[in-house]
Amino acid sequence: MITVENLRKAYGDFPAVVGSDFSVESGEVFGIVGPNGAGKTTTLKMLAGLVEPTDGTASVLGFDPEEPEMRRRLGFLPEESPLYEDMTPRSYLRFFADLYDVPREEGTKRTEAVLDRLDLEYRDRRLGDMSKGMKRKVAIARSLVNDPDLLIYDEPASGLDPLTTNVVLEFVRELRDEGKTVVFSAHNLFHVESVCDRVVIMNRGEIIARGTIPEIRAEHGETTYRVYTTVSLSETEHHPATEPEGDQHVAVVDEMSDVEAIREAAEAAGGSVADIRTDEPSLEDIFLQLAREAPTTSAAEGGRGQS
Amino acid sequence: MTDDTGLKPRLVAHTRAIARIARWEVTRSAGTLDRRTIILGFIAVLVAGGVALGAAGGGVAIDKDLYRVGVASDSPYYDAVEESTVLDPRPVSDPNVELIVSETHVSVTDTPTGMAAYEAFRDAVQTYNERQMLRESNQTAAFPVVVNLQYRERGALVPPGSRVGDGDGDGSADGAAATGDGGSGSSDGDTDGQAGGTAGSSAASGAAAADDGPIGAPDVGGAGGFLGGDTSGSPASISPPFPFASLVLAFAFLVPMNFVIQAYGSSILNERVNRRGELLLVAPVTPGDIVAGKTAPYLAGMVGLTVAIALAIGGGPVSVAAVVPIGLLFLSATFVGAMFARSFKELTFVTVTISVFLTTYTFVPAIFTNVTPIALISPLTLVVRDLSGTAVSLGDFAFSVGPILLAALVLFLLGTGVYREEDMFTQRPVPLKFLDALDSRISRPRSVATLSALSIPFVFIAELLVIAVLYVLPVDLTIPLVLLAVAVVEELAKSLHVYAAFEKARFARTLRVSLLLGALSGFGFFVGEKFTAIVQLVGLPSLTLGQAAFAPSGIGVVAATGLLLAPLVLHAVTATVTALGATRGRSTYALALLGAIGIHVVYNLQVVSSLG
Repeated sequence: MITVENLRKAYGDFPAVVGSDFSVESGEVFGIVGPNGAGKTTTLKMLAGLVEPTDGTASVLGFDPEEPEMRRRLGFLPEESPLYEDMTPRSYLRFFADLYDVPREEGTKRTEAVLDRLDLEYRDRRLGDMSKGMKRKVAIARSLVNDPDLLIYDEPASGLDPLTTNVVLEFVRELRDEGKTVVFSAHNLFHVESVCDRVVIMNRGEIIARGTIPEIRAEHGETTYRVYTTVSLSETEHHPATEPEGDQHVAVVDEMSDVEAIREAAEAAGGSVADIRTDEPSLEDIFLQLAREAPTTSAAEGGRGQS
Repeated sequence: MTDDTGLKPRLVAHTRAIARIARWEVTRSAGTLDRRTIILGFIAVLVAGGVALGAAGGGVAIDKDLYRVGVASDSPYYDAVEESTVLDPRPVSDPNVELIVSETHVSVTDTPTGMAAYEAFRDAVQTYNERQMLRESNQTAAFPVVVNLQYRERGALVPPGSRVGDGDGDGSADGAAATGDGGSGSSDGDTDGQAGGTAGSSAASGAAAADDGPIGAPDVGGAGGFLGGDTSGSPASISPPFPFASLVLAFAFLVPMNFVIQAYGSSILNERVNRRGELLLVAPVTPGDIVAGKTAPYLAGMVGLTVAIALAIGGGPVSVAAVVPIGLLFLSATFVGAMFARSFKELTFVTVTISVFLTTYTFVPAIFTNVTPIALISPLTLVVRDLSGTAVSLGDFAFSVGPILLAALVLFLLGTGVYREEDMFTQRPVPLKFLDALDSRISRPRSVATLSALSIPFVFIAELLVIAVLYVLPVDLTIPLVLLAVAVVEELAKSLHVYAAFEKARFARTLRVSLLLGALSGFGFFVGEKFTAIVQLVGLPSLTLGQAAFAPSGIGVVAATGLLLAPLVLHAVTATVTALGATRGRSTYALALLGAIGIHVVYNLQVVSSLG
């Protein structure tokens, strides 16, 4: 669906994206995550044909991103919702359906269907009089009027209240279930973790991790084990000391061999292991760890690049 | 199986996209205007049109019966008063009058109104007498003094080979020598005195006649000019050669344009505010489609208004064909301005500047329609001619409209170059945006040559403007100034885009690249410059100033092959000098530009000297 090789973008001397390689398969939700200034938006805009790469190649739906035919099959949602505020949701969507060569009758049908689906009531009210959440829904609806194969969403839930955010994320899941391919960026890692099949983590213009969430966790995260015992244990060279927690005692260790050592020590002390729980790091934990480890040169330091 | 990549399908697709965007622009823009604004705009246009019509046609006589005059019906002055539109004849017994006319004297109330009424009465009597004299069968007896008025092209008064303005000429009657002393002329006898006075006033402008042929307006296919062209008659019948009525009517074409560009500029800038236009950029249409679609309704509106005004004031297809390119230039300049402006406040400044400049550029030269061919730099001159019933040749039309039309198209081309995400939504100063726009049209070295050639309409307009502005100064001052201005304009035109390309790191800053770009820029400019040969069609080079502006660069000079190729060498050399400077940054570029201008001026002076 998308293949990106050594994609670079520089604004003057400022490197916004410093050589990205990734691919997106058909029907998956692919996340690009990172802090502000990481190069997420620039990457998405290069994929949408809005920004010309300085170097490297991108193939989207088998086309160069600047090809009109690619755009015909793409639904793009920018970070902001730059709507024409004097138009109504209905007229706005019909105009874009028309622009995408959707036959008039079909365009009207799709417009109503997508507005129904997003539960947008005020279809003939001026967009300028609508709330941010409603505008965002209209913007999402606009990205769908051409029935695209690929959706590129830049921070789709940015600035929305939790309720609307939930609706938007649920909608992305539904799109995936319908077989659409979705690429979206976010700096709220919880959003990414909840809907994405695969992600790349970007920082300062470059990809610092990639894969499915479990793969990233396995590669970059540190799983810890909380071992609950019925007796108190002192620290030895094989395991740490336990801490009281309720009517039990708990020790936190990184390795399964340590778990085994605690079990043996508890039994030797006349007790037993009551429970073992696994603590998996969140994507946010991994991201923070990677960001700390990353070199401090380049992209995010000044310049006019976009996030 | 249809081929979607063929020319016809692509053309159809572009046309459909443009039509859709245009339709959307109309409905969307209509939604942004409240009813009151529309009504006020409509009234403003109506008032402007009404005033123009009234002033030109005398249809609205706001001074009718302004002064009441007590005059007996058997008074010899009664007819004069009665025929005057300003005066209202009343019985002598009427106490409410400003003026009482009796057989022997005139009584005036000692008030400003009374004095004004007296002046109006004198004018009315003078006009009445003139009219009566014209009815005389013996015109020689009626008008013993006859004035022959001939319009002479000022520059052509300098004889070839003579020094300009040396001030020691003899002002002889054959007009072969230069003079700066105001000439001389016999004043004995009425007729001679008139003729001598005429010669003297001509010479006072710093030159004397070199030939006998009247120049006046360029050859327009008619016989001896029109309206205020060459005439003869009594001193009272000679009027200044300003086609006042036609001028006012022609001005009516410009009024709506100033309203339309306000709405158009706002619409373009609106796309740039809050990244609103981003979604159009990601739609399956090109920036060209978007710009054309957004422009089409405003252009159509202008064309519609132009046709309506033409019908109302009696203009023909020539008027419409001459005005539409002006409208296009208004729109293109506004488009570029709106693409460069950073805010609506800045846009207001831009549109006002455009309004003032283009209105001046088109209207002022048209005032001199009957005086000098320079007037043809404005298409409004064609309108004045059309309204005056004078034929317009194809050459005049091309000369007048061509540069304007080309300039408009090039401006659209430049603006469309920055109609993309990376430039539209950035907030950079206008000069840097201009450099971005130039750079956006450069993709390979040969683009430099293309841009140099495309700069010709602007160079042409700028040089014509210089001539028009300097026309009123003494010739010995204007020629060096024109030569300098020409050098500045042309060197800037050849080098700015090269500088922009280096600044945007489009090319490597090496000696080899700068030599290549300089040569290409000079060559492109030389080729484009050949298009200015159209000036031949209207005889502008016959003007001394026209020669100064155009002949040194080779146009119109067919006397020697060397002079034909010399401009190519000049342009290549000076463009290379500036290209070399541009590789090293702004300061070095500025110095190199000064050097190139210096070379160009020296060259021009040499050519002018060699031409004699």
